[in-house]
Amino acid sequence: MVEVFVNMGQIRALKTEGFLTTVGLGSCVGVTMYDAQAKVGVMGHIFLPKQRPNDRDALPGKYADTAIPAMIQEALKLGAVKHRLEAKMAGGANLFSNLNPNSISIGEQNVIAVREHLQAAGVPITGQAVQGSHGRKMRFSVADGSVTVTAIGKTPVRI
Amino acid sequence: MAKTVLITDDTAFMRMTLRNVIEKHGYEVVGEAGDGKEAVELYKELKPDMVTMDITMPRMDGITAIKEIMKIDPNAKIIVCSAMGQKPMVIEALSAGAKDFLVKPFDAERVVESLRKIGA
Amino acid sequence: MNNSARLDFLKELANIGTGHATTALSQMLHGKLFRLVTPDAQMLPFEELAEYIGGLEQIVAGIFIVISGDVKGYMAFLMPYESALLLVELLTGEFDGEELGELERSALQEIGNIMITSYLNALSKMTGLLMIPSIPALAIDMAGAVWQSVLAGAEVTSDVTLIRTEFSAQGKAIEGNIIFLPDEEDFARVARILGLEAE
Repeated sequence: MVEVFVNMGQIRALKTEGFLTTVGLGSCVGVTMYDAQAKVGVMGHIFLPKQRPNDRDALPGKYADTAIPAMIQEALKLGAVKHRLEAKMAGGANLFSNLNPNSISIGEQNVIAVREHLQAAGVPITGQAVQGSHGRKMRFSVADGSVTVTAIGKTPVRI
Repeated sequence: MAKTVLITDDTAFMRMTLRNVIEKHGYEVVGEAGDGKEAVELYKELKPDMVTMDITMPRMDGITAIKEIMKIDPNAKIIVCSAMGQKPMVIEALSAGAKDFLVKPFDAERVVESLRKIGA
Repeated sequence: MNNSARLDFLKELANIGTGHATTALSQMLHGKLFRLVTPDAQMLPFEELAEYIGGLEQIVAGIFIVISGDVKGYMAFLMPYESALLLVELLTGEFDGEELGELERSALQEIGNIMITSYLNALSKMTGLLMIPSIPALAIDMAGAVWQSVLAGAEVTSDVTLIRTEFSAQGKAIEGNIIFLPDEEDFARVARILGLEAE
């Protein structure tokens, strides 16, 4: 079965079956969108919350504000229907927790931004494994919409 | 009576290393501070003969702590033990009142030599 | 200064910096021999950054430091978990090689701190510029997660300049990388100070 790896800043989509996988989510947030009826799945690997003015030609998947609309477009292209889309998210951790303990970590900022943009787009969040201080791997089965999140030294969870 | 020393460093490993060296050479470690703020508080409380001071630490850095301790006791004997050995920083620490500046990594002899010289 | 001259200059800085860093480490380990690999200086598009370190799912120990002062930038120190365990064992002398406790983690943090700060001290001496390291932040996790957190912490955008020096010790039992992400404008200034005037 096909397994597509989604790197930092990328958006990838599959239909009917296969896996979308992203490894090494630290402060980054992995987001999946799924239309269960059309069996269309999209995964993004978001780096920072907001596009920088000096980075206009960046991949749309790099920043939360541009990634969420771009992911919806990818899903629609493969035949998904917008109101059927459901989202899941993982990551947004703060690995270097003793750095700037008084400010909001980049991981948390990413989580907040992803939630905001999903809400603005009207896509509900049906599962999440976010924040904390450890890295994560996310594996999304496009056949059934399940997402497995693994972390070092922890039991994998299905979200 | 053995001279007393207060150790200041934000890493437990470095505090342990310093404690081993200092105690082995007949000094008494009376306290360990994990940052500059703790060092100032412990200085008031313990009145040690000497202090070892790291520079880069959370809450209060070593330079600020040296200045605060010198306000409390202008005769305080502070030895900086820091990885940050750049000239402007050394000058700043010495002019704030530190008596010596050891750049990490240091060997045990160098620490003992400094304690002897400063504590005399 | 053209791009390849600029990268050569950064390589030279990295060579000197890492030379001091590994000398510091071998002093801590009482003279165990270290080997340096020639620094690799590159300007990479964002798309290629994630894969730059490789082995994304392997466990590494990573230390991240933010540089402020006259020149700004970011430094990271990455080593495989096995190397980190061995290093801690050599340093503390009593570690049993099992789970890393607070003392062992603080030893790793201090190693990273001393190595990176020695690197910066050497550059400071050469340039007369102050480079103040932040408190070191330590993470032990999947390489990809640690590396991406470094890149996010450095808020990289596109075409990122990075200089990596690999080193090893005790045969190849201890391996590590020091990665330097300099602020472009600041380092153009450093080049001018050192007489490598822009063309």
